Amino acid sequence: MSRTLITNARLLCPASGLDEPGSLLIENGEIAEIGKVDGDADVTIDASGLCLSPGLVDLRVKTGEPGAEQRETLETASRAAVSGGVTSMVVMPDTSPVIDDVALVQFIANRGRETAKARIYAAAALTKGLKGEAMSEISLMQGSGAVYFTNGDWPVADTSVLRRTMAYAASCDVMVASRADSYSLSARGVMNSGARAARMGLAGLPREAEWIGLSRDLLLAETTGCRLLVDQVSTARSLEMIRDARDRGVDIFVSVAAHHLFFNETDVGDYLTYCKVNPPFRGEDDRQALIDALAAGEIDAVVSAHDPQPPEEKRLPFGEAAFGAAGLETVLSALLVLVQDERLSLLDALRPVTSSPASLIGVPQGRLAAGLPADLILFDPDKPWHCEREDLLSRSLNSPFDGRRMVGRVMHTIIGGETVFQR
Amino acid sequence: MSIPGYSYEFKHDHLLSIEDLSRLDIEHILDLAEAFAEETRAGRRPEPHLKNMTVINLFFENSTRTMSSFEIAAKRLGADVVAMPVAASSVKKGETLIDTAMTLNAMAPDAIVIRHSASGGVKLLSRKVDCAVINAGDGTHQHPTQGLLDTLTIRRAKGRIEGLKVTICGDILHSRVARSTTLALHLLGAEVTLCGPATLLPSGTEQWGAAHTTSRFDEAIEGADVVMMLRLQMERMNGGYLPSQREYFRNFGLTMERLRKAAEDVTVMHPGPMNRGIEIESIIADSKHSVITEQVEMGVAVREAVLKLLAGRRV
Repeated sequence: MSRTLITNARLLCPASGLDEPGSLLIENGEIAEIGKVDGDADVTIDASGLCLSPGLVDLRVKTGEPGAEQRETLETASRAAVSGGVTSMVVMPDTSPVIDDVALVQFIANRGRETAKARIYAAAALTKGLKGEAMSEISLMQGSGAVYFTNGDWPVADTSVLRRTMAYAASCDVMVASRADSYSLSARGVMNSGARAARMGLAGLPREAEWIGLSRDLLLAETTGCRLLVDQVSTARSLEMIRDARDRGVDIFVSVAAHHLFFNETDVGDYLTYCKVNPPFRGEDDRQALIDALAAGEIDAVVSAHDPQPPEEKRLPFGEAAFGAAGLETVLSALLVLVQDERLSLLDALRPVTSSPASLIGVPQGRLAAGLPADLILFDPDKPWHCEREDLLSRSLNSPFDGRRMVGRVMHTIIGGETVFQR
Repeated sequence: MSIPGYSYEFKHDHLLSIEDLSRLDIEHILDLAEAFAEETRAGRRPEPHLKNMTVINLFFENSTRTMSSFEIAAKRLGADVVAMPVAASSVKKGETLIDTAMTLNAMAPDAIVIRHSASGGVKLLSRKVDCAVINAGDGTHQHPTQGLLDTLTIRRAKGRIEGLKVTICGDILHSRVARSTTLALHLLGAEVTLCGPATLLPSGTEQWGAAHTTSRFDEAIEGADVVMMLRLQMERMNGGYLPSQREYFRNFGLTMERLRKAAEDVTVMHPGPMNRGIEIESIIADSKHSVITEQVEMGVAVREAVLKLLAGRRV
């Protein structure tokens, strides 16, 4: 029986509200004791000056595997993940082939177990081939381990298809995630619509596209009873719409991409393609509203929205470059910057990346409690660092944080009681 | 050749956008261009400021007039000019803009004049080369030499820019000319009104220096000292952005009747090529108010000035 003792840590568990100094004992890959732990251990880690929290659970990660391994594999993404403190990650279904049947869900799970350092879960396609025409085998894929269902970056355009699919999903008690978008309004856009895009001569992605898509999705969630995760909210008004729906008792959850808490549209600067993401960086008012909602506990999950792109897709004029940013290694720091700025408490910053997303997908990790998997991170919340793209471990290095001063670093990542990363 | 009266150091490596220029920069370019224009009118060739220099004209979009204008300007100053229209470029074979830039840079030109369909494309290229880069139009972003030549043409016609009322009418949304010219005129003290159908009017035009933005041409033209009509892309007609040509002409075409609402000595401009009968009545385009051909003439002079200031600075 292997025993690892972590001593002198600041213990943080958002689920229980624990924030106090203490120790934690790991036995056979599980958390055995928390608090004042004495006794022998095979390995002792002195965590003086460090915080000990559950590892991060990231609900939105893209890899290129299968089909575009030059972008990222499960293995390379997991290397980036554990260095950023992410111990569990959900990969999106928009691969090639699309993850839309049982065998592919199982392939992701098996491949993850064989090659990845982090725990890998699959989100499966809501419709076959992500075409938005026919619903996929939701129940069978749920049985194979798919943790939620989504059409990825391609919202189902046909409302009747979405309505039927959500009604069916509700009957299976699975969660559907939907990017709120109205494609006919946003198809040509490349950055947030408005004065800045107009001045730069770039086609805009209007906020209205999110609002129109969201209002449809919320109505369908309400009428079908489907559990809905609104994927990557980016505007202040969307938050108001979600509050109204919640007041009516609609079963909805909200995720925000970490980079939307950090950047606004002005960061696009001189056509910086690393800042080309979808939904785009919005105005400063929107960014502030997202942070306020996070502080108020209205955001259920902060995701990395990791979407690695190779250089040949980013070294292009802004309009022609691919959307997407690498994010696994910066999600925690983006939150810790907000803690440093006194916009969030440490526990409030950790909740949407640990216990809350873990609950959404029904996995036991994400909290500090005896008997749960010992997926843990030790981090220094005050450690300053400089994000340089060359230092990132992701296969693709397209980070909008490139060149930024950050704060807060993961020093030690443990999964199932095993150290998988140490800085 | 030097301009009598003062000396001024132009400290820019490239000309990518009017936004990068100060009022003094613009006035310096205009003064120099005017001197070039006068020499040409007097039948004299300028000094070969760019002798033994190489200028590459890299045009990813077809443009006979702008490419010719740059070519004539560079040749008048003694440069060797290499024309690279898109059909002959490796981009057709899948090469990226950055690869093209690095290849051309290895050939050690003194200046690259570039037109590209993507906004920001010229900026991207400028980061990868050692020579001067001149933006000859990038997407719907900027066309700075057009902004400068428009400003020079107006200054010559009116004797000043400060305090003039200038109305620019047409497809503002997709016009790099509108962005550049508005910025330049605003910096020099003109009051610019932008006018067009609501579908072709972007938000935030005050950031370019526009004093007013409206869809009512009859109001916009009231008392205008200068009216500049923009080219309308035909594909924007018929349900896309506009119902029809005839409806557009009715609301936004420059007619004699409308022109009478402007100042008596109004100057009429158009960056060309014109859609006669859609943007502007032929009779106006050919009237005494029109300075459309002088815009073309000033285009060469402005490009001579810009090439001298940027490529010549590298001597």
